[in-house]
Amino acid sequence: MDNLHLATPEIFMLFASCAVLVVDLFLKPGQRHMTYWLTQGSLLITLLLTYGQVGDTAGTAFSGAYTVDGMSAVLKSWILLIAIGGFVYTRDYIKDREIANGEYYVLGLFGVMGMMIMTSSNNLLTIYLGLELLALSLYAMVALYRSNADASEAAMKYFVLGALASGMLLYGMSMVYGSTGSLDLATISQALTTSDAGSTGARFGLTFIIVGLAFKLGAVPFHMWVPDVYDGAPTSVTLYISTAPKIAAFAMIIRLLVDGLEVLSSDWTLMFAILAALSLVVGNLLAIAQQNIKRMLAYSTISHVGFLLLGMVAANPEGYSASMFYAITYAFTTLAAFGVLLVLSRNGEEAVMLDDLSGLFRRNALAATVMMVALISLAGVPPLVGFYAKLSVLKAVISAGYVWLAVIAVIMSVVGAFYYLRAIKMMFFDDPVDSSEVPARMDVNATLAVNGLAVVVLGIFPGWIMAVCVRAFAG
Amino acid sequence: MIPLSHFLVLGAILFCLSVVGIFLNRKNVIILLMSIELMLLSVNMNFVTFSHFLDDGAGQIFVFFILTVAAAEAAIGLAILVVLFRNRQTINVADLNQLKG
Amino acid sequence: MSFQLFIFYVFAIIMVFAAARVITVRNPVYAAMFLVLTFFTAAAIWMLLEAEFLAVTLVLVYVGAVMVLFLFVVMMLDINVEPLREGFVKYLPVGILVGSIMFLEMVFLLTQRYFPSENFPAPAAKPANYSNTEELGRLLYSDYLFHFEVAALILMVAIVAAIALTMRRRSDTKYQRPGLQVQVKKEDRLRVVSMDTESKS
Repeated sequence: MDNLHLATPEIFMLFASCAVLVVDLFLKPGQRHMTYWLTQGSLLITLLLTYGQVGDTAGTAFSGAYTVDGMSAVLKSWILLIAIGGFVYTRDYIKDREIANGEYYVLGLFGVMGMMIMTSSNNLLTIYLGLELLALSLYAMVALYRSNADASEAAMKYFVLGALASGMLLYGMSMVYGSTGSLDLATISQALTTSDAGSTGARFGLTFIIVGLAFKLGAVPFHMWVPDVYDGAPTSVTLYISTAPKIAAFAMIIRLLVDGLEVLSSDWTLMFAILAALSLVVGNLLAIAQQNIKRMLAYSTISHVGFLLLGMVAANPEGYSASMFYAITYAFTTLAAFGVLLVLSRNGEEAVMLDDLSGLFRRNALAATVMMVALISLAGVPPLVGFYAKLSVLKAVISAGYVWLAVIAVIMSVVGAFYYLRAIKMMFFDDPVDSSEVPARMDVNATLAVNGLAVVVLGIFPGWIMAVCVRAFAG
Repeated sequence: MIPLSHFLVLGAILFCLSVVGIFLNRKNVIILLMSIELMLLSVNMNFVTFSHFLDDGAGQIFVFFILTVAAAEAAIGLAILVVLFRNRQTINVADLNQLKG
Repeated sequence: MSFQLFIFYVFAIIMVFAAARVITVRNPVYAAMFLVLTFFTAAAIWMLLEAEFLAVTLVLVYVGAVMVLFLFVVMMLDINVEPLREGFVKYLPVGILVGSIMFLEMVFLLTQRYFPSENFPAPAAKPANYSNTEELGRLLYSDYLFHFEVAALILMVAIVAAIALTMRRRSDTKYQRPGLQVQVKKEDRLRVVSMDTESKS
């Protein structure tokens, strides 16, 4: 067993989550906050261990199944950071709804573990297992709000479509395995470069892989589950689904398509171009029609997935790093938006309709400001981070020669700005339906402030994250 | 001696049957879950076939893990189904009209 | 036609028939039974492919555990089948059409074009003392150790999720508390009453 130390973050995380599971068993109902703090502690220590790997650490462990490289350490650090923020926001929400049992936190930790494995995967089997670890935890987390029929319904839909997507992905993987004779991504890539015979079979498999990925990401036309699941799931889980897993999904695309099947990039760029264009158009247009804010954010996610894929269309390091930047910034901007929704969903009430936002500034100025910053950033208005992310993706796409895609993206961003700005107008200028104040805990307020500030500051100084993203694909 | 394509076509038939099954039984969640099992079986068929013809153990190992994950998936899927049934007294997806797509 | 090919066709035909019935029968219990038949024949075909261990596992794990779980759930939930069939006949022609087109395309690609048999000659026969189980075990615990651990984690997620989702405490259930039971002392249960002896008279 060589290089076992590379996997220290995962190994620690595994022990810690099992410890949380066991300790929770012995806690009395009044001591549940212990589970919360243990969870946050495990995530924080794992974050420190992972952050230690950022930079030069690189190598493979477990007979090449697991890899650490420039990209994986950075993405994992962000996944962990966002998971920590997410748990801060969700703490009171899940306590109010009596889903804050130990299982919620343990499944959350296992899901993070799945994302880390996806990010560090170096062969088809690792990707599949990491993906399933994440997906199974997510299905269960959605359904964990047992008394709520909408949540069980959303879980069932999510489950069926997720399993279908896994099946498609696996069928594609079996074809890739058959035509290259290996599960290892590097060997697959080599086999495809050297022999032309294998690449025709792999191309057949690629189609299924892309369909599977599109389902998982929620790209149009495989998006129908996204609004239902976002809407039906408890908001805490919607926050979880819509933030960190997007980063892991980006990592999975890079592993599968760039590390493994880059030889076939002329095929997958075309498919991604179509998926991206459709997602941008459908996501933004349907978001306008929504009165339910969770559904609106779901369609907005679809359009942002379009942008994420847009960077991949360029099929060069510039495009990949732009996509990576986009995935990271999208995740923490959405985190802030859902964080505010969770602050509003107190005392058993759910903030789901756009009307619930009206007059928010008078009820909770900090939450309204953070929401405004997040929405403006998602709309792509300078100088916030979302603008820079969109700009770098567009630059990569144009320099790769896809001007028509860039034009669609710009037009649809302008359309998209409408529904974000409508929500902002409601928060600041409309009269509140219910004018009672919405207080939040100290730690939630602090996290919201930091999160909102990050969206602003990183927009003005995007250089260092961008540099990290560029370095991830430099080697 | 049975050629490779026979097994691949058998896998393809299973795959198509499972897709058709998902399409036809959109209302019956139990049959949907069974169709997904069929799809995984078709994938397994492919992996075992390639593993045999490439004389490489990795394909069989992959099947081993697909079987494990599928068992876990079935357990969670059926658990969700039970929760859903307790809440709604039906597993008819068409009755699940609270969420509009 | 060689004997092996004959065996293959027999099992393949049974398998396709059973799989088709899984998605078309009315009663979910029958569907589950047909799925069992599909798995059995698949196991037989895997035997032809010299994957003995997996063939046995498929029968033991799938038929023995997963399908039994399915049957449990089908019978536990009192499902009204009729409404679930609505639209089945309506969509049947479209389903068959789409399925057949997809199948023909896949066959066209899978046979000669993408996987020509000259690229995939039959592998050399294994020596007589070769053990499929041993080979898989060696791989599983060496090269695929990481995956083995992750699979264990996935099973743990399944356990935690299934218990968290379905366990409920009924108010009318009576529990035994062994911890308290063993702490019982003689004084708690037995009371010696001292009283005067009574005579018959």
